[in-house]
Amino acid sequence: MMSQRKVIPVPSRDTVPYWGALANGHLEVQHCQDCGKWTWPPRPLCSGCHGENMAFEQVKGTGEIFSWIVVHRSTTPDMMPYLPYTLALVRLDEQADIYIPGRLITDREAHRGMRVRAVPEKITDTVGDLAWTPEA
Amino acid sequence: MSKGDKFPRGQAAIAGIGATEFSKDSGVSTFTLASRAIKAAIADAGLKIEDIDGLCTFGPADSVSPNLVAQGLGIQSMSFYVDQYLGGSVSMSMVGQAALAVSNGVADCVVIYRALNGRSEARLNGANANPAKIPWDVQFKMPNGYIVPAQEMAMNARAHMLRYGTQHEDFGRIAVLSRTNALDNERAMMRKPITLDDYMASEWIADPFHKLDCCLETDGAVAIVVVSAERAKDLPHRPVLIQGAAWGGGITLANNGFDDLAVSPARPIAERLYSSAGMGPKDIDFAEFYDCFTYPVLSQIEGYGFAEAGGVPDMLKDGAFDRATGSLPFNTHGGLLSEGYIHGMNHVYEAVQQIRGDAGSRQVKKHDVALVTGQLGYVSGYSSATILRGA
Repeated sequence: MMSQRKVIPVPSRDTVPYWGALANGHLEVQHCQDCGKWTWPPRPLCSGCHGENMAFEQVKGTGEIFSWIVVHRSTTPDMMPYLPYTLALVRLDEQADIYIPGRLITDREAHRGMRVRAVPEKITDTVGDLAWTPEA
Repeated sequence: MSKGDKFPRGQAAIAGIGATEFSKDSGVSTFTLASRAIKAAIADAGLKIEDIDGLCTFGPADSVSPNLVAQGLGIQSMSFYVDQYLGGSVSMSMVGQAALAVSNGVADCVVIYRALNGRSEARLNGANANPAKIPWDVQFKMPNGYIVPAQEMAMNARAHMLRYGTQHEDFGRIAVLSRTNALDNERAMMRKPITLDDYMASEWIADPFHKLDCCLETDGAVAIVVVSAERAKDLPHRPVLIQGAAWGGGITLANNGFDDLAVSPARPIAERLYSSAGMGPKDIDFAEFYDCFTYPVLSQIEGYGFAEAGGVPDMLKDGAFDRATGSLPFNTHGGLLSEGYIHGMNHVYEAVQQIRGDAGSRQVKKHDVALVTGQLGYVSGYSSATILRGA
């Protein structure tokens, strides 16, 4: 779905594919074509082998909550309607040292190990956002 | 041989300190705040403005640059400067770099200053975040409102609670202790006593952090004069030697193989710091821990080697950190939580007063060696710390 946002991310030259993928409904993460390591946030060289041969590839979009906070005060206009809301730090299933934060869409209380899946949201044709929701 | 061993141990000294009033609205520019603090620090050192040949500051583009300060003060012989982007994580690197400069003769008199209108102008609450200008991982946090330091640190605090059973009350005891230490500090912005009940009842900011877990937004400036240890002997005050310093780090969650938020990022810094000073945790008489929030204090007590992981709550209950009677008094002025937030430079000011024996009713009994720290890694990836020793 398309959402009306006041704060729209401005992709850098390195992150255009990431934001574009979210606009198209996918979570894509850099994947080293040489050593196989996944990398996030996007960066110039692979963290594993320092090569440049990385490609943005779609991940399963699932993971589990490692830590979380409940935001009661915010200065981000787009989040005001949700207050208080849960921000979750999600460990991707693909690799244990990748943590991707996002708003948790649920009425339930978060807990460590809670299984979640990515919910990409289209903001513009080229920029999307990422939230999480419980798998079941 | 560790890298820390190369530090010019005890060869530079803090000879002067200066500060403005700490307030919610200074009514003047950071240029004016810096100038006033520098003038006070130079006078305290028994030196003249013309003696300054090095200037160092830091901040997220909200201090005032050394080249402007030099022009404003009419300094024509600048031979060393640092104008470091970023916040509290780099604060003690200023002390370390000034020590490197004066100990090898690149400069003779370096003034470190931090000036900010942190309440009346450049607040760190995320309201002015510009999507086009934010770097790297913050880019991805911002749309969800994950933009302020309280949230980052609260995420770490939660991980510690999950792993060690740390309770809200444990963070609360740090808030209460800090406030108690501020009560007799004339510089402190918050001098109304609080109890653990007040803490628990204070509003949520980012659960697990209440409002009273968070430091203050402050207008003000602090300046520190660094000269060689040799020169400091001839100046009015007891020289405060820069015994050791370490800055660097590298531990963040940016996919660098680090996968446990509950482990203190102070650990790798602590090893090099103690090596640089030729000292260990047992040699420290008191500490001024960077307390942008309560939890980082707990994490630093562990990381700098004063407690086993998970051991801080019992020590808090046992009074181990009480200013008058504890084995490790910390944040003897009330810290960033209750004195004010001059990005950690007010910690140096307090440590120097304590080492000189000039802290009045706040004076700790053993006051020869102080640990002073900058913010822990996690957010920027940097940490920094120094050990100061009275000559």
